[in-house]
Amino acid sequence: MKTKILLADDEKEFIEMLAQRLELRDLAVTTVYSGKDAIELAEKIDFDVIILDVLMPEITGIDALQQIKKSKPFTPIIMLTGEASIENAIQGMKLGALDFLIKPADTELLIKKISQARKLKHEHEERIRQAEIENILRTRGW
Amino acid sequence: MQMKNSNDKAGFLGGVTASVTHELQNVLAIIKETSGLMEDFLLMNQAGGMPDLDERLGKCLETIKKQSYRGVTLTSRLNGFAHTSDSPQSTINIFETLQKMISITDRLFKQKGIDVSIIPCDTPYSIITDAILFQMIAFSCIECLIDAFQANTAIILAIQSSESQAAIQLLCNNRDLNHMDYRQKIIQTHHWEKINALCEQLGLKADISTDIPALLIFFK
Repeated sequence: MKTKILLADDEKEFIEMLAQRLELRDLAVTTVYSGKDAIELAEKIDFDVIILDVLMPEITGIDALQQIKKSKPFTPIIMLTGEASIENAIQGMKLGALDFLIKPADTELLIKKISQARKLKHEHEERIRQAEIENILRTRGW
Repeated sequence: MQMKNSNDKAGFLGGVTASVTHELQNVLAIIKETSGLMEDFLLMNQAGGMPDLDERLGKCLETIKKQSYRGVTLTSRLNGFAHTSDSPQSTINIFETLQKMISITDRLFKQKGIDVSIIPCDTPYSIITDAILFQMIAFSCIECLIDAFQANTAIILAIQSSESQAAIQLLCNNRDLNHMDYRQKIIQTHHWEKINALCEQLGLKADISTDIPALLIFFK
């Protein structure tokens, strides 16, 4: 199954180009142009990885990250920013972002980070499944 | 006072420059991704053929051209803005200066969901002043209106005149506001004191409209 990516950035042409490049590498990409749309879509669809631009109008990437983490705590989020600002990186990581990339990011590096993020998510989900099974077995005395 | 002015000017110039260069980085990021996509298309074509290659490459080139123009416009504006600090006093056309200030700070306000515009003015009002401080006053007035009225809306600038006086009106275009609060809300912001201090230095006068959510900067 293809890795499902949500890309959010108010620079429409930037994410449309990036989306095409990721799709050529066999990833399933959905694009949105605001933090608000990213939050709404992340609630409805179980994405493997979410990529958020930090500086979006009104609801910033940091605000969106906080909101998405409430409903989808295990979905890995990678922050993208045009600012070479370590403060944003630290804030995003403290709030639960898995990783951070400075725009324009190297596409191959981004794909590598997406792949790592997806692997981590699946490992985490697998651990939860195992724990649930163990819990059922224990409560039934098996 | 002179040291504080220098710090304030540096802060203003730095804030505007940071915003414009951020946008320039976006332009470069788009050009980079587009040229990368062209590379992908060409590699795929070599590997086994790429349908509609010419059309795809044509679209990419169109994007690069559009973004190059956007980049040139941004650098021209930034260059013009940087040169306003060349001399401490110069003759400025009020409408043109405000229009340029809006175009270069546009992104900062759009980030807050605010649309700032200026109504065209036929009369070419000019004053001899410190162009940077003058722009800082207009910029502070916009920020003041945003803070005072939590304006998630539009701010409209206009040059108004009568026989004896002329002023820049900065109006917060929000019909939901209770007009009784206008003066009090503006005075309560930290911007109001700064606006008055800057106006005093340039021999201008700031006032608050009593019947609409607007600030007035009298220059004549």
